[in-house]
Amino acid sequence: MQVKVVMAKLGLDIHWRGALVVSRMLRDEGMEVVYLGNQFPEQIVDAAIQEGADVIGLSTLGGNHLTLGPKVVKIAQEKGVDALIIMGGVIPEDDIPLLQEAGIAEVFGPETRIESIAEFIRSKVKNSIA
Amino acid sequence: MSNNTTNVNQEKKLFDREVIQEIEAQKEHWQQNTVKGKVGEGQYYSDSGIPVNLLYTPDDIKDIDYLKDIGFSGEAPYVRGVYPNMYRGRLFTVRQIAGFGTPEDTNERFKFLLKNGATGTSVVLDLPTIRGYDSDDPEGEGHVGAAGVAIDSIEDVEALYDGIPIDEISSNIVTHLPSTTVVVMAMFAAMAEKKGIPLEKLSGTNQNDFLMETAIGSSLEVLPPKASFRLQCDAIEYASKNLPRWNPVSYNGYNLREAGTTAVQEVACAIANAIATSEELIRRGNKIDDFAKRLSFFWNLFNDFFEEIAKCRASRLVWHEVMKERFNAQETKSHLMRFHVQTAGITLTKVEPLNNIARSAIQGLAAVLGGAQSLHVDSYDEAYSAPTEESALISIRTQQIIQAETNVVNTVDPLAGSYFVEKLTQEMAQRIRDYIAEIESKGGLVSVVESGWLHREISDFAYEMQKDIESGKHKIVGLNYFPTEQRNTKVEVFRYPESAEKRQKEKLEKLRQKRDQAKVEAAINVLREKCHEDVNLMPYIKDAVLAYATLGEIEEVFREEFGLWQFPLA
Repeated sequence: MQVKVVMAKLGLDIHWRGALVVSRMLRDEGMEVVYLGNQFPEQIVDAAIQEGADVIGLSTLGGNHLTLGPKVVKIAQEKGVDALIIMGGVIPEDDIPLLQEAGIAEVFGPETRIESIAEFIRSKVKNSIA
Repeated sequence: MSNNTTNVNQEKKLFDREVIQEIEAQKEHWQQNTVKGKVGEGQYYSDSGIPVNLLYTPDDIKDIDYLKDIGFSGEAPYVRGVYPNMYRGRLFTVRQIAGFGTPEDTNERFKFLLKNGATGTSVVLDLPTIRGYDSDDPEGEGHVGAAGVAIDSIEDVEALYDGIPIDEISSNIVTHLPSTTVVVMAMFAAMAEKKGIPLEKLSGTNQNDFLMETAIGSSLEVLPPKASFRLQCDAIEYASKNLPRWNPVSYNGYNLREAGTTAVQEVACAIANAIATSEELIRRGNKIDDFAKRLSFFWNLFNDFFEEIAKCRASRLVWHEVMKERFNAQETKSHLMRFHVQTAGITLTKVEPLNNIARSAIQGLAAVLGGAQSLHVDSYDEAYSAPTEESALISIRTQQIIQAETNVVNTVDPLAGSYFVEKLTQEMAQRIRDYIAEIESKGGLVSVVESGWLHREISDFAYEMQKDIESGKHKIVGLNYFPTEQRNTKVEVFRYPESAEKRQKEKLEKLRQKRDQAKVEAAINVLREKCHEDVNLMPYIKDAVLAYATLGEIEEVFREEFGLWQFPLA
């Protein structure tokens, strides 16, 4: 079955290039991607529910990853959404373990090959279905 | 301006027809006999897709009429530079961006940079400020004082410039959006007047580009392109009448390029915006020479060394043509394309970050060879965080090395006369003209934003570039060209002061308690009404900031009165 991704810019962060390029390239990888634009955690989770998304992609370069990232996970849990939540952007190395502890499945920094994001998604989404 | 109104004739070409014929014949011979079959014979391209030859010779520039097409520094068509004596007269301004935490935090960093040789201040604002929210607005959570400094009220602008001689050095304020610009510019002007500094003494620059709001950066709540463009024009018109030394706009090619365009598109969009502005201000009854001299530009220099230098030269030429041919500007200053350069953040890598010092130095050198008026050299830790004091200092030192050790500043436009650089300059200029024409054929810059055409151009470029990086066609050292083993470099990361949000909120709460609420409401209500009239909003915004209305309160008026616009991305 086609993997479905909702992709959002987290909060106020303005840099849309990465999120949009990743969205387009995941489509090339055969996934369905709904680009949400800028959204807050609550709206992102609601969109994921509405779309029946397997994956929630969060993009931020603005420094709000530690504040808003874990919030998405928490709201998703509260609303019973078990989508894979991943993040991309400029995120300090030291913060990655904190995000993972909070339930972000993986954090992709600059220079990540989009292919490898797709591989990661396929491995996780398949596993969770199986 | 030079007066070359006589007919262009053969004598004015750089080379005799006979000499060119002989060179062409010999070149053909060289091509067929000496080069044929050798490695590297095929087609090469510049970053923006201009074919690059193996070798350039006089025949490549045989049609150039030196006096008409290139000329002298400080004279039309300004290819060689906007000032006669260029860097001998005044070195480019070393302008390093700073901005984080509260205004008090950034004020300290200003003082550090000035002590170490920065010759002007340049401030970035945090996202809530840029997007028009106060520090206590839930929309801003997690961003207060994070990627820039937080500004809520005129008191914050007073704290930011405390002890900084704003009547002596120039102040650059990276306001991004027109909606932010009109408020912050009003606060800056009001602050100066309260200090007893006449507005005529203020020199500096605002960014103020409606593309930042409507195309380059996306957000939750975006004003419609026409409204954002109107505010952009209001700021420019106000400054042209009240702040004669202030550049009320810095047409932001830089961020367009970071978002995803070629060098040609970068310059063409910025000039198209300046054309649209000029048309609007003339419609309002201004004369071109009232404001054109204060329009300034902001370029991004990537690693394609000669193309970037040619871009700088070509941008001056095209701007002069626009001012002369379209607008018939009379004052010399209206014809001068003055620009700030920041080196290209997006070319910097996370892998082997120290390599970025080399990249930035090369880009900075290109800026100086291209005749930039001021320069910001990016710091090597760009892909990690905002710069630390240490990395910011290396950026200043890089500029000082260019200024003092390389001798490149001693002569004007030293690459002029290079067959390659002159040819490339002509080619860039033609492509810039063509792209401006394409935008205008679609109804002009505001229209191509409204329709989402510009967004698609940016998105397509970014997508193709990513594919080229992944395929290795676009080479990046350490990443896909001689990829490094060392994936995780330890870099000291700059941490934003965590207490900033709390401190900023406390200040704001106090302000709301002590101000005269009736006065605030009265000023806000007048502004609200004026939004629907064909008038300049700046005086009403200034009244509001003097009554201690906050930035968020003023921008809420814009959101309510102008409405919101759906960003055309999918």
